Amino acid sequence: MSRIELVNLRKEYGNVVAVKEMDLTIEDGEFIVFVGPSGCGKTTTLRMIAGFEDPTNGEILIDGEVVNEKEPGDRDLGMVFQSHALFPHKNVADNIAFGLRMQKVPQDEQARRVKEIAELVRITHLLGKMPGQCSGGESQRIALARTLVTEPSNFLLDEPLSSLDAKLRRELRAECDRLHDELQKTFIYVTHDQEEAMTLADRIIVMNQGKIVQQGTPLEIYGDPVSYFVADFFGNPAMNLIEGEFVKSGDGLEFKSGHFDVPLPAKFNAVAPGKGTFGIRPENVVIGASGQGATLEREVELVEPLGKDTLLYFETEQSRPFVSVVEGTEDVKRHANVTLSFPDDAIFLFAADGDRIR
Amino acid sequence: MAMTKSQRRMSFSAFRYLVLTFWLCIVAFPIFWMVSTSFKPDKEWFAWPPVYISENATMMNYLVVWADVSEYATNEDGDLETYTQSLQRPWEALGNSALISVIATTLSVLFGAVLAYGVSRYQILSEGRMFQLLMLRMVPPIVLVAPISIWYSALGLLDSITGLVMLYFLTTLPYAVWMSKSFIDEVPREMEQAAEILGASRARTIWEVVLPLVRSGLVATFLFILILTWSEYLLALLLSKTAVVTLPVELSKYQGSTEGRVYGRQAALSVGITLPLIVVGMIIRKHLARGFSFGMVRR
Repeated sequence: MSRIELVNLRKEYGNVVAVKEMDLTIEDGEFIVFVGPSGCGKTTTLRMIAGFEDPTNGEILIDGEVVNEKEPGDRDLGMVFQSHALFPHKNVADNIAFGLRMQKVPQDEQARRVKEIAELVRITHLLGKMPGQCSGGESQRIALARTLVTEPSNFLLDEPLSSLDAKLRRELRAECDRLHDELQKTFIYVTHDQEEAMTLADRIIVMNQGKIVQQGTPLEIYGDPVSYFVADFFGNPAMNLIEGEFVKSGDGLEFKSGHFDVPLPAKFNAVAPGKGTFGIRPENVVIGASGQGATLEREVELVEPLGKDTLLYFETEQSRPFVSVVEGTEDVKRHANVTLSFPDDAIFLFAADGDRIR
Repeated sequence: MAMTKSQRRMSFSAFRYLVLTFWLCIVAFPIFWMVSTSFKPDKEWFAWPPVYISENATMMNYLVVWADVSEYATNEDGDLETYTQSLQRPWEALGNSALISVIATTLSVLFGAVLAYGVSRYQILSEGRMFQLLMLRMVPPIVLVAPISIWYSALGLLDSITGLVMLYFLTTLPYAVWMSKSFIDEVPREMEQAAEILGASRARTIWEVVLPLVRSGLVATFLFILILTWSEYLLALLLSKTAVVTLPVELSKYQGSTEGRVYGRQAALSVGITLPLIVVGMIIRKHLARGFSFGMVRR
């Protein structure tokens, strides 16, 4: 059993506050992903858990024991670094055996466990090579193996895939998932890639400016963002977010932004008029009058066929275009006029300060 | 006429070799001249037109300098004459030089590397302090001689091996710190942290991870400082003379004596001064190529 608790954790570098009073409990066997833009404090948090940074304030508990004063090597943790950090002067087998050697595991058992773990991450053919002879993906597998072999209860992964290309990233992402399933250990994973977070996490911790802004399962985060920031961060293509004004029209409320003029669903009738943001995910925008929700006539600016889906871009008066995803290779021509409809339950509203209006 | 891409590349590399060959000639000529002179009989030292490769090559210069063979020569009256070599002690000087420079260099690299590690990882010296350290080397050595002479005479360190070792150690320390810091900076911190979280102690991490990665750099630093201390003349000349003689000082004794300028002997001694460094360089060749190319660590 291993449970990690962060209590009132704070980290300052001089005048800069990297992490602001964070409270979080990570249960045994959970796959937690810290996600956020660079500089949001996610890596700092991970490094505090690892013991490479001392918190300015607050406590870190592992299994109920405060570990603030413990050395990184005594915290029952394994860590995989963004740079892989393999030892370039040791061959792959020696790299993997390093942790075992530090634990004074007998020679023959070392060899057995190295072989076992190499099979698990499928790098048996690399054992005799030097790290310099291995590709980026192979290096990452070796780094994983080196961490796995010591069998720590918790794995910390600091943007482990960010130095790899997209295809390899997907491949190793699946590998991480498989390892987590097989080992049933706690994984704490840091990334700035929302897609990685969505696919891997049991629970996503969204961070911004040193604070947790939302946590929940991937679907909760995606379907029920608490703020403009979270809504904007998750999803690819990103949520359509149009800045404008809420104005009264009769009994109801209307959203206005230049030519973009949509009546809002009745549940928002009580919202106070004023500046705000209208949001809808590209896949929820329906092409053609569906008979439900508000509709709008627009000209197609750009058609982007992706094979399985097609992206349609519409002009707005704002810097970002309005995007709609339709399945298949929709037969829509550029400059054609189409009707867009916005189903009531797919509309998100955000106040001027970024908070979600429900 | 426009050249094709491959022609352009060829002519560029031809040009490069031309420039490098020219440079090599300039650099290597003094060494050639030294070796050539060391085999010349005395009449050819000043000969005009100059003798490049002597047809009367002789080992006499070497024998006189290194084997203390008394030389029989004819003087102007045609009588046989014997030179006396009593003042010259090249083997002792070689021993002194070897002892002093190896100890001083070892100390310098050892302490320099430890300091550099502290600077690189724990910022024990600010950037300003590091620069001041280097500024120490900007002081002309002659300026230091007077105060150091006074201290040394008070401390009884004048004309002693310990005195020179200490002086060389301290004056080369800035180089050692700066050079080894650049190598230590190349080792990513994450690599040390990876070792730490796998349970290695700090000492173990330095020994198993940092040291192997900076070894080539330290060897290069060692050779660089060894050359400095091995060939140091001014301080050795002024702070020691009679009891402790180093090779560069010894070399000066073959000049301006009653026999006139004995270039052949000097050349023979110079070859002896140069050879050990070349041998050391060859032994550690593998490290030098890596060390001077700064950074074997792939990022």
